[in-house]
Amino acid sequence: MAKPKVSMDWLAGCAGCEMSLLDMDERIVAVANLVDIRSTPITDLKVPDESGVDVGILSGAVNNTYNEEVALRMRSRSKCLVSLGDCAVFGGVVALRNFFKLEDALKRAYVETESTDGEGHVPNDPELCIPTEVRAVSDIVKVDVNVPGCPPDADVIFYVLSELGQGRIPELKGDKLHWH
Amino acid sequence: MVTLKIDGQEVAVPDGTTVLRAAQSVGVDIPTLCDHKELAPYGGCRMCLVEVEGARTLQPSCTLPASNNMVVLTNTPKVREARKFVLTLIFSERNHFCMYCPVSGGDCELQNSAYGEGMTHWPLQPNWQPFPMDASHEDFVLDNNRCILCRRCIRACGELVGNFTLGVEERGASTLVIADLGAPLGESTCISCGTCVQVCPTGALIDRAGVFQGREKDVAHVKTTCPGCSVGCGVEMIVRDNRLVRIEGDWDAPVNDGLLCQIGRFTPMKETRERLLTPLVRKDGALKAATWDEALGAIADKLKPLAGQNGAGIAAVTSPRLTAEALHDFEQLFGAKLGSPMVTSLEPQAATPFTPGMLDALKTADCVLVAGADLITQHQVAGFFIKRNLPKGAKLIVIDSADAGSGMTDIADKALIAPKGAEAQTLAGIVTDPAIAKLIAGATKPVIVVGKSVYWDAAVKLATALNATLISVQGAANSMAAAMYKLDKPFEPKGRQAVYVALGDAQITPALAQQIEGAPFVAVQASYVSQVTAMADVVLPVEMWTEQEGHYLNLEGRWQEAHRGINAPVNVWSNEKVFEALAERVGATLDGNWNPKEGA
Repeated sequence: MAKPKVSMDWLAGCAGCEMSLLDMDERIVAVANLVDIRSTPITDLKVPDESGVDVGILSGAVNNTYNEEVALRMRSRSKCLVSLGDCAVFGGVVALRNFFKLEDALKRAYVETESTDGEGHVPNDPELCIPTEVRAVSDIVKVDVNVPGCPPDADVIFYVLSELGQGRIPELKGDKLHWH
Repeated sequence: MVTLKIDGQEVAVPDGTTVLRAAQSVGVDIPTLCDHKELAPYGGCRMCLVEVEGARTLQPSCTLPASNNMVVLTNTPKVREARKFVLTLIFSERNHFCMYCPVSGGDCELQNSAYGEGMTHWPLQPNWQPFPMDASHEDFVLDNNRCILCRRCIRACGELVGNFTLGVEERGASTLVIADLGAPLGESTCISCGTCVQVCPTGALIDRAGVFQGREKDVAHVKTTCPGCSVGCGVEMIVRDNRLVRIEGDWDAPVNDGLLCQIGRFTPMKETRERLLTPLVRKDGALKAATWDEALGAIADKLKPLAGQNGAGIAAVTSPRLTAEALHDFEQLFGAKLGSPMVTSLEPQAATPFTPGMLDALKTADCVLVAGADLITQHQVAGFFIKRNLPKGAKLIVIDSADAGSGMTDIADKALIAPKGAEAQTLAGIVTDPAIAKLIAGATKPVIVVGKSVYWDAAVKLATALNATLISVQGAANSMAAAMYKLDKPFEPKGRQAVYVALGDAQITPALAQQIEGAPFVAVQASYVSQVTAMADVVLPVEMWTEQEGHYLNLEGRWQEAHRGINAPVNVWSNEKVFEALAERVGATLDGNWNPKEGA
């Protein structure tokens, strides 16, 4: 049997989930041996194969139109889509913004922040993506496996990847289930 | 008794028991959120739904009385699906993002419920409606965004504390927990007992001092007795890395059933006094750090020649916050061994008769007479027991003194003011007041609570006549033990050659400082720097209440244990160790037989 192809991408997140993935230490070699790693944010290949992959993993929340595009592309090219981390699963810390008006959040970030020394206006280049309400990945595409955690423990990520690498759908319960 | 079947298990329980309690009694776990063992069943969250054979719909087990031949199933697919749906709706209502909540990671009953149902995500997204947050209170914060509307806080405030500050406004998903009629908590009628914080299942009520200081898995719980007053509430010190994180009421404590007042729960967390960390001896007019050997030697050299001198010898006074062991050692060292007639405690009180468990009478009293006691600012938990029974029909009669009110005048059925000098007559004469006579006549379980000693004799007579339980709420944490060791006379140090003050961690009074001013020699053993230690010739650093082991005798004569939650700083000794070391230096031995009834 050919090794399952795995692609990864990130949306609006902090890369903490990826740090936690690296926290599995030498077990990453076992995972790498189980699967065929295709595109990730830190490899040369940035987008999943047009011919499709077996497992697509997304971390981060859907925060703008570019995130939507990435999520839709990953969904359309993956047999099994995994949401990794609280941002992808629930909206996470990013979703705090939803309790405020988008214009207020942008103004605070680009105009009022104490450290702002730019032009003092919200960037409006037509090539930029457009911010949206923050959503969980499952709000815009079907998600097959949710792996909550902020970040998920390295042990949990190892369990999820090794199960997927062996063609099984991981079941998170008991001490493997944490949202924080 | 009724017999029913829960998950195939035969269970026999007394009439009126709910299905939930019946299930819990045989170890069947039904998840709950709004239920709390000290509160009346409410049926607000629907987590405890169960299948009952023959019933059309799922039933809330917390409000369903068990009946004969009932067949209950608690873990069917239908039940589990309903629980998940209940949780889905709760999570969709407000901001329940765990990653920025202080109780996430084991301390949140809502999060734990979701784990229990194996929820990896929320089927419905939140509705992003921000709710107001109330940070006006000095001890805790109310965040309505985290609230699941279980109303535990509101029920505890009314049912347990009798304060009825918390309530709700609006309806449905807009419902908000508020204080009074929407007043900021810090300016409301809240008495800051913090019971609401202790019962909150989520992060909606947050203790300011303890927030982010350690989750349940990081901390230890150490049970001890609150030294705040003579009620002697059972408390749990929540400690981490030899640091006090939070204080909670001990639900299993027989005296207070988990309740505490602000003085017991929050005040100790705001301690700002400077700690004494080493013995000090006065040299060339200034207090200088010294070894224990030097300091004890300096005291012993002074005390030994004064032993047995009646008028001009030693005056010794102790705080009644010390443990019984320490109080006994103190009395033995200065009284029996050094022969001083002036050995006593601060706030001395005469021993009053007691029967263990008489505070329980207050919990079930149908008529309470409070004479010369302020149970709103002192002995507050005893006040809670009275206040919470008033809506159930209990009658309250208060006698305020001319100079000090009871604080309960507004909620009493009848309030009198005793003219100065006529307190006893006023109390003795109340039965002649027809309105009061009527209130008392209807009572089957009357209780009389006495504060000031001027009322005592009249209260004893009245209690006998009415067959009422009589409670005296005078004195501090261990005043009863101090009285037992005869440390009960007024402190009069004038003309003494040496004054010894065993202050422990007590707050000093201006009167004490005045009394010892000008004494030829002053030795103080204390936990904190104060005006009194500044006047001393020798200062010995001792343990504070969180650091000690020992016993307390509360106002109803119940022996209670104090335990060490925190290890004292390295050069700080226990009060007993100081007395023993001093005894050794003056050539005496202490027997340590602090409880003659039970033996050492």
